Amino acid sequence: MSWRADALAIWAVVVRNALMASRNVFFFFELLFWPIVGVVSIGLMTRFLGLSGPQASFVLVGTIALSVVNVCQLDVAYAVLMDVWSKSIKHQFLAPIGIRHLSVGSWLVGMVRGAVLFALLAALGWWAFGFRVFAPGGAAVAAFLAGCFLNAWIVGVLVCALITLFGNRAESFAWASVNLVLVLAGIYYPVSVLPGPAAAVARAIPLTYFLDAYRSHFGFASEFTAPIATGLALAVVYAIVAHLAFYACVQRARRTGLLLKMSE
Amino acid sequence: MRSPAASLAIEAREVAKTFRSGWLRPRLTEALRGVTLEVPRGAIVGILGPNGAGKTTFLSILATLLIPDRGSARVLGLDVVHDSLPLRQRINMASGRPSFLWSLRVAEIVGFYGRLYGISGAALRARVDALIEEYELTEYRRVPYNELSTGLKQRVALAKALINDPELLFLDEPTLGLDPDVSVRVRAHIAALRRERGVTIVLTTHYMREAEELCDEVAFIKAGRILDKGTPDELKRRIGLGDVIALRLEPAAPSWLTAAPGVLRCTTDGDWTKCTVDDAEKRLPDLLRQLFAEGITVRNVRVREPELEEVFVELAR
Repeated sequence: MSWRADALAIWAVVVRNALMASRNVFFFFELLFWPIVGVVSIGLMTRFLGLSGPQASFVLVGTIALSVVNVCQLDVAYAVLMDVWSKSIKHQFLAPIGIRHLSVGSWLVGMVRGAVLFALLAALGWWAFGFRVFAPGGAAVAAFLAGCFLNAWIVGVLVCALITLFGNRAESFAWASVNLVLVLAGIYYPVSVLPGPAAAVARAIPLTYFLDAYRSHFGFASEFTAPIATGLALAVVYAIVAHLAFYACVQRARRTGLLLKMSE
Repeated sequence: MRSPAASLAIEAREVAKTFRSGWLRPRLTEALRGVTLEVPRGAIVGILGPNGAGKTTFLSILATLLIPDRGSARVLGLDVVHDSLPLRQRINMASGRPSFLWSLRVAEIVGFYGRLYGISGAALRARVDALIEEYELTEYRRVPYNELSTGLKQRVALAKALINDPELLFLDEPTLGLDPDVSVRVRAHIAALRRERGVTIVLTTHYMREAEELCDEVAFIKAGRILDKGTPDELKRRIGLGDVIALRLEPAAPSWLTAAPGVLRCTTDGDWTKCTVDDAEKRLPDLLRQLFAEGITVRNVRVREPELEEVFVELAR
């Protein structure tokens, strides 16, 4: 496939997902309602518990990261989910495109929505709780967001793989998967408080390192050496694994007939 | 000169597919048990059969949506398993139960698939406009898909299926559930595709009249096997159904009638004597001449050709 055809196929998915997102109230709730409710309620809880400024920042960084990862990974999962819901998935796989076009196109929309959400939650955090998300500077924010988006891509592609492996039954993974990240990646606490085996799993999640690196700008000593490099290296490995898993699941669905069943 | 293989749009050899379902107690369903079929380029070929015969499975393998367990299939000279990506650029498919993203509008759906096939900019706009006009969807171009009637959805599916100007089109029960007037129009569109664009078409249907009207060749499939294949006329002859000449004679039919040349059998139905003959056009003049010669009055004559449905019933026994 030529670069032009690649770009066009990705653009097709971008346009489709953007149009669908703009016409669905559910997508609006996903983007605004739940994340705002999350930041407001967690922010108020930090006040109630009388947490110090740095402690509140620690928790709010986690809350914002979770919302950004969630919104972006759902968009990636929509690469398959929307077609499963509309029973049109066979048309997508009948076209001369690869899974990379689906996942990357959906991811681009997810990144835009994630960036918009990040800006909104940052403004809300500053206005309501005096939390200055952008204080660490542009480079730190960019690295943090890149980490969130890479994690979202990995989770979203794995959800796509599970849906093409198990069918509609697996769609709950799209919403549940991010909660695993919540428990293990240290969203509300440092991973050092986790019990031994869980802490080991946490150290295998790239988001853990990006959170650690960003929180270091708010006065928390980093638990890892070179967290961004480690997070990036892990993310690249997982991205390749997720892509291969998705490809293998689509091929399996072509063998088992699940691709057709999901279109009936 | 084209080699025989190059003149074929489809060459399927002993294609087999078994579906497995259930985790604890796997159940096996043999959908195809060695299907062999050749389709010449530019032909319209119908695959007929009852529900669950394997029609859609076979079509889906040819369209690269399913991977066969056994056998081989080449479509437009490309292997459906190993060359699936370049093949998909040259084929397309529409089914009788079309389904697209619910809130996308008609023009957006056709445009989305156009981009997936590498069409962009002014060329895409022109192509989308032309297809929307051709399928009389102009007034619905901004209507969301979930607000369209079944017939309109079907037309959107056909427009989408032509976005890449395919050399080969698979139509899976294209008139399923449509009103008769809409079916007639869809069939006219299908016939025009071959006539005006030279598209090879493989369609599945269980409407015999549709197959008879559209198809150059018909393959009957049942329980995953092709029972017979040929032109509708060839099949009727091969099955030995023959034409029926119904005669109202006075006095009654003579005994020699059953043994007359070309007469396969005779039955009586009230006043009528029904003779099944191999070819009515060839046999009728001789029969009438002999009857007149014997002084038998022929009060009425009706000739009826067998329908494909009868071939199907015969084959399905």
